[in-house]
Amino acid sequence: MSDRSKGYGKFLIPGFILFVLVLGVPFLMSLCISFTKWTGVGKPTFVGFANYRKLFRDPVFWASFSNNLQLIFAITVVPTIAGLLLSVFLFDYVSETLGNGITNLFKTAYYLPQVLPVAIAGIVWGWILNPTQGALNSLLKAIGLGALAHNWLGDPATALRSVMAIMIWFQIGYPLVIFLSGLQRSDPQVIEAAEVDGAGWFQKFRIYVYMIRPELLVVILTSLIYSLKLFSQIYVLTRGGPGTATMVPSYFAYQNFFEKTKVGYGSAVAMVMTAIIIILEVIFITRQEKLSGEGEY
Amino acid sequence: MKKCFAMVLVLSLSMSLVFAQGQQETGSKRTFKIWHYESANGAMGAAWDEAMKQFQAKHPDVELVYENKGFEQIRQTAQMILNSDEAPDVMEYNKGNATAGLLSSQGLLTDLSAEAAKRGWDKKLSPSLQTTCRYNEKGVMGSGNWYGVTNYGEYVMVYYNDDLFRQYGIAIPKTFGDLETAMAAFKAKGITPLAMAGAEYPSQHLFYELALSKADRKMVNAYQLYEGDFDFRNPAFTYAAKKMAEWMEKGYIDKDCISLKAEDMGLQFTNGKAPIMVSGSWWYGRFMTEITSFNWSIGLFPGNIMSPGSSGNIWVVPAKSKNKDLAYDFIDITLQSDIQTLLGNKGGIPVAADTSKITDAKIKDLIGLFDTLNAQDGLAFYPDWPAAGFYDTLVSNLQDLMLGNKTATQCLDSLNSAYQEGK
Amino acid sequence: MHVQTHGKRILGKTLALVFLILLMVVMVFPFIVIVLNSFKTAQDFAQNGPLGLPETWSMTAIKNFWVRVKYGQKLWNSFSISLVVAVVAVILSLLNAFALGIGKIKGSVTFLILFVIANTLPQEVLVYPLYYMAKLFGIYDRQISVIIIFTAIQSAFGTYLLSSSYHAFPRELLEAATVDGCTKGELLTDVVAPVSKPTLSVLFVFFFLWTWNEFFIPLVMLVSNARQTVPIAISVTQGQHNMDMTAAAASALLGVLPCIIFFAIFQRTLTKGITAGAIK
Repeated sequence: MSDRSKGYGKFLIPGFILFVLVLGVPFLMSLCISFTKWTGVGKPTFVGFANYRKLFRDPVFWASFSNNLQLIFAITVVPTIAGLLLSVFLFDYVSETLGNGITNLFKTAYYLPQVLPVAIAGIVWGWILNPTQGALNSLLKAIGLGALAHNWLGDPATALRSVMAIMIWFQIGYPLVIFLSGLQRSDPQVIEAAEVDGAGWFQKFRIYVYMIRPELLVVILTSLIYSLKLFSQIYVLTRGGPGTATMVPSYFAYQNFFEKTKVGYGSAVAMVMTAIIIILEVIFITRQEKLSGEGEY
Repeated sequence: MKKCFAMVLVLSLSMSLVFAQGQQETGSKRTFKIWHYESANGAMGAAWDEAMKQFQAKHPDVELVYENKGFEQIRQTAQMILNSDEAPDVMEYNKGNATAGLLSSQGLLTDLSAEAAKRGWDKKLSPSLQTTCRYNEKGVMGSGNWYGVTNYGEYVMVYYNDDLFRQYGIAIPKTFGDLETAMAAFKAKGITPLAMAGAEYPSQHLFYELALSKADRKMVNAYQLYEGDFDFRNPAFTYAAKKMAEWMEKGYIDKDCISLKAEDMGLQFTNGKAPIMVSGSWWYGRFMTEITSFNWSIGLFPGNIMSPGSSGNIWVVPAKSKNKDLAYDFIDITLQSDIQTLLGNKGGIPVAADTSKITDAKIKDLIGLFDTLNAQDGLAFYPDWPAAGFYDTLVSNLQDLMLGNKTATQCLDSLNSAYQEGK
Repeated sequence: MHVQTHGKRILGKTLALVFLILLMVVMVFPFIVIVLNSFKTAQDFAQNGPLGLPETWSMTAIKNFWVRVKYGQKLWNSFSISLVVAVVAVILSLLNAFALGIGKIKGSVTFLILFVIANTLPQEVLVYPLYYMAKLFGIYDRQISVIIIFTAIQSAFGTYLLSSSYHAFPRELLEAATVDGCTKGELLTDVVAPVSKPTLSVLFVFFFLWTWNEFFIPLVMLVSNARQTVPIAISVTQGQHNMDMTAAAASALLGVLPCIIFFAIFQRTLTKGITAGAIK
């Protein structure tokens, strides 16, 4: 194994140097800052573990955490499943029956939310979800479901759910495009063989999913990380409110970094989140590597 | 293959342009960098445009480079920019402890005291306006060296939709009692009287107005300048919290507005849905052009001597400025009577203008009210100033109060601990 | 029976189409709102709110915004930065993934974890250290700083995606080529790169779009207006107290159109795959 791997190392060098410079060094610097009290300018004061102790006692931090767990569902689980179904549907059925052009049209349309700047998306969704004049409530009233009309972003009971729904809207395009690219490199003979064998819709679906397993794992991990880092949409839609109904850890960190200029405390928050993400990743990637070691890979 | 080649071509072109930008322009002319973030067609933008022209005429050998910045960039990165060689020579910046105060205490701003005395700026600006121009070594406003110079004022007042009032036979309020009566009357007719937005500053401005109706200058100084003890659970703020909760209950403020932004509040007023809006002079110029379908007027918050308000943003000279003498010249020009009058005529509130030269009646109203407020020492600054990050704390606690999630006491408790910790 | 299946097919087709179109409307609706508001006058907006049709269709908001932020310049800045990042990051991802996913060098799992960690760091964490480093190297307020930073960040993701997809790489191809006397370099350019074209294309598109839409780090690194990018220009419509709504909509429209065009052009390459049969 090591013999076969000889000589590949040098291809890694440029990428790794860049990584160390741009990401490794700042990470270490941030780690150091998390043990200090600092306003961003001037000299930091060393405070040891004080920031971390404060963090674990901070109710806002824990509230943000629990919100984040719910958002994971909206950002990782739903779009991934929806993306799988949609991509297989587009690839298998639509491009056969309706042609490539139509498929591409839909693909572009579904990816569009990912392309819109988050700040603007936030404003527009604010307009749509406006309790009195917004499109959603107007639509509900028009079709007789006025009773369902809510103050979507303003009522703590519905705020997080509304943000979750918006995130699903936002996120679906990402798995869709990745899965489609995975399906593109799949071997059509496998599917043809299955069809000849009389495989039903569900069997075919399972085969497709199996074939794009690498992409699936990548999407799951990256979506998971993204949901743990979620920031801009919260910033733009609700600023973590009402109250702490939609507060998330990275927004909490941001508040401390920039609005309260408590750079040390903000760094501590960021470090804790990063540590959690790293643990998740290590578990994930080592499993992924193990899986690729066995089987026909 | 062809696509590849084309891409490489475009790529190298882009890279060369990117690298080319790295070259500094060398010339024998002095370059003078000015930044501000007001819109070009607003009052300040127009006045400062003229000031720049006059400056250029006075200094023909200087190359004036003006950049209109986005507020977001200044708000988030001012510290970093001023700490570098890219700092401009003079720029507009926010007033208050959390902004100018913080930067001055970090040594990023030039001390302007000598210039202020020399050029008579300290005579042109009233003491109340000077509060936000001077900061002590801890970065607290009100005393100490001059670090900024203001050109204009701003304040919070009440906007009234005259046509709606007339339509329902309700009188424009003159006292606080009148205000509550008017709101009750509108409510009885099925109209939510007060435009409001709970997700941004409007709720805290209203909250502060209500508190100020029961407060005095001493309390404000304790609150804003840390002169003496201050606790949120005092009578003035307790009254304010209870009153806001009461108004929510009576339906004077729509529960749905709790998650709305300031722009939405403006919309409620401009499309004629809400007859009353409590907010700042920064809407005035816009309303003058945008409201064409009804008559409207303004008034100070009925019964109050003080109101949220202060000097406008200030000109600061970064410590790393390379042309401080030119900066002082420029600031001086902006305070001259002609520039100030121009500022007024374009819909802003000048601080040193010849009021007889103000032509538009509506603008006269605006300036007149400010002058009244200023004369009675009524500028009470803004509620989020005294503690870092307090803006978000106020927004979130007032949201809880308006939703009924927190009682008045709980809200004040929470605000108090955040204030004590953050000041 | 023939007729039945034919009828079923048509029904299936129509239902499919209806569903997809409904979904498309939901996805695209906010864009329609933006388009509508870009063509409104400020008075119209103030009076009627954001969700009505424009009373008169006016180009003022768009024209004003373009001139105010010198949009053409911002377009070019964003385009050149995003393009350079996309190309270089794809190349780096390829090199890295080649070493990790094909070569499986010692410690590749650790390297992979490190690369993915790069993507997890929230930008606030990176910003202060990067600012100090940029000043140190004299590239503060230079586009090269932004390019370097995003190349690192995007290639970290690319390395991960690409090396994961190399788990399914047909080993026979590699063995066949090595037997034929291919060097590692030739292996990379002649065998691995062409076969991974679908994934490389995806990466290229993603990197371009992601870099285009980046806001925070360019905001910090690019001080002079002349060097700034489109998202920063869009943020200019958010004033201190006011937000110019029709300008914001116009800025959104102008900001999003290049991305849509880019995606529409390049996503055709995403669908052009190389079938496994062709490889053989």
